[in-house]
Amino acid sequence: MENIEKQLREEARKLLSEKKVDALVGYEQGTLPYQAAPCIITEPEEADRLVWNPFCSVNLAKYVHDLIFQHRESQTRTKPEDRTKKVVGVIARGCTTRSIVIHLQERQYERNEVVIVGVPCTGYIAKRKLFRALEGAEPLACAVEGDSLKVETAQGSKSILIRDILSDSCLTCRYNNPVISDINVGEPAPPMNPDGEYNDVDAFENLPTDERWAYFTKEMDKCIRCYACRNTCPSCYCKVCFVEQSQPRWVGVSVDESDTQVFQIMRIFHQAGRCVDCGSCVEVCPMGVDLRKFLKKLDKDGFDLFEHRAGESLEDPPPLGAFSTYDKEDFIFEP
Amino acid sequence: MTENNTNENWEPKIVAFVCNWCTYAGADLAGISRIQYPPNVRLIRLPCSGRVNPFYVVKALQEGADGVLVSGCHPGECHYLTGNLSARRKFAMLKRFLSYIGIEPDRTMFTWVSASEGEKFANVIKGVTERVKALGPAEKLIKAL
Ligand code: SF4
Ligand code: SF4
Ligand code: SF4
Repeated sequence: MENIEKQLREEARKLLSEKKVDALVGYEQGTLPYQAAPCIITEPEEADRLVWNPFCSVNLAKYVHDLIFQHRESQTRTKPEDRTKKVVGVIARGCTTRSIVIHLQERQYERNEVVIVGVPCTGYIAKRKLFRALEGAEPLACAVEGDSLKVETAQGSKSILIRDILSDSCLTCRYNNPVISDINVGEPAPPMNPDGEYNDVDAFENLPTDERWAYFTKEMDKCIRCYACRNTCPSCYCKVCFVEQSQPRWVGVSVDESDTQVFQIMRIFHQAGRCVDCGSCVEVCPMGVDLRKFLKKLDKDGFDLFEHRAGESLEDPPPLGAFSTYDKEDFIFEP
Repeated sequence: MTENNTNENWEPKIVAFVCNWCTYAGADLAGISRIQYPPNVRLIRLPCSGRVNPFYVVKALQEGADGVLVSGCHPGECHYLTGNLSARRKFAMLKRFLSYIGIEPDRTMFTWVSASEGEKFANVIKGVTERVKALGPAEKLIKAL
């Protein structure tokens, strides 16, 4: 881990001083001890701000898209021949590289506008699981020691196995090593447990219809529509999202619970074949809505119906952007 | 749309999104051939089944439809060549997803009816109406306000 951090800083410094990138997106120590925050650095001297530890959670691909588009928008009044491109570097684990693949497939930016510094990933800590393990005690300091996390709290110190508090997305991750990269740092990480990927979905599918609806409504009742899940999601890059569209208004903003349910159905459905299961939305949700249970279903169906895994390779287009004469149609009603 | 829920003579309201070139023409043929079918369906004509945003289906359910039907040209016969093939992928996923969250599968139906299939159009409407009737009035996802 230490070693990877050192190499990352080295690579970042090199990229910035050789002007191979105009900005680099990485993680820095957050304001709380159990937090690593996304950061954007533009000077080689800033490279030492970068950290790499199991608190690095959110998917940085979102920031790559944001930076490139902000730059493009700042040039709308510039003559076309005077417009410049900015190259963004990014520290990318497996899921981040898959999100970048999706951006590239969806023609959001060119491959040469992004420099991918690939890092092997052994998973990140889900903050909710950490808090559960601490039984409410506030972590004052955290340090990684081998396989465990040593946490100092007001009640004393505690050692927790990192494996026990990893995000659900990480536990069953299929791509914890970058799927594309320009520079690689560290040795490839050992595989996680992708075989159990759909266990949750399978179990849920076997519940009676009304129980499934009850669970869906219970979860969505928690949602306060802060849209943090959408804002952090790399696949949610629309300039005007349907939730803000008002001509016509797609989804109501009333207190009626169906409005929230419809928002969630559509937000989740927009991820069909595009969700890389990075778990960022789950991680940032202040209310602990179980979004993954529903997102993972789309992932499963995407593979089941079209043998597609989101962002796996540049050659495999998103399933809903393609078609085949031979697609299954057993759902078609024939009277 | 929920006003008649308590009524013993409840009749389902079904919203059908149909494509201009095949299914709508099929409905026309059923009409001019005087083929009888249940009056529970409201047709909404769109250029193509590929034009049907999955959101339309969800929105119809939220606004109180007891069932939603989407119908277009048979695969290979799309006026726009491949619109219905994209639609097929979208709706394969949508139907599974809506069933997964607990909306009865029979509330969202998808089919193909060509311009020459007036008889089939009537049968589709009969079939869908029967299935939705068997489920009873929709109670999920409906906007109360
Ligand atoms: S929906 Fe959530 S898990 Fe999926 S790509 Fe977006 S942020 Fe990641
Ligand atoms: S929820 Fe849908 S419309 Fe909104 S940003 Fe995400 S993908 Fe775009
Ligand atoms: S982050 Fe959570 S509470 Fe906020 S809109 Fe998303 S699901 Fe709802």
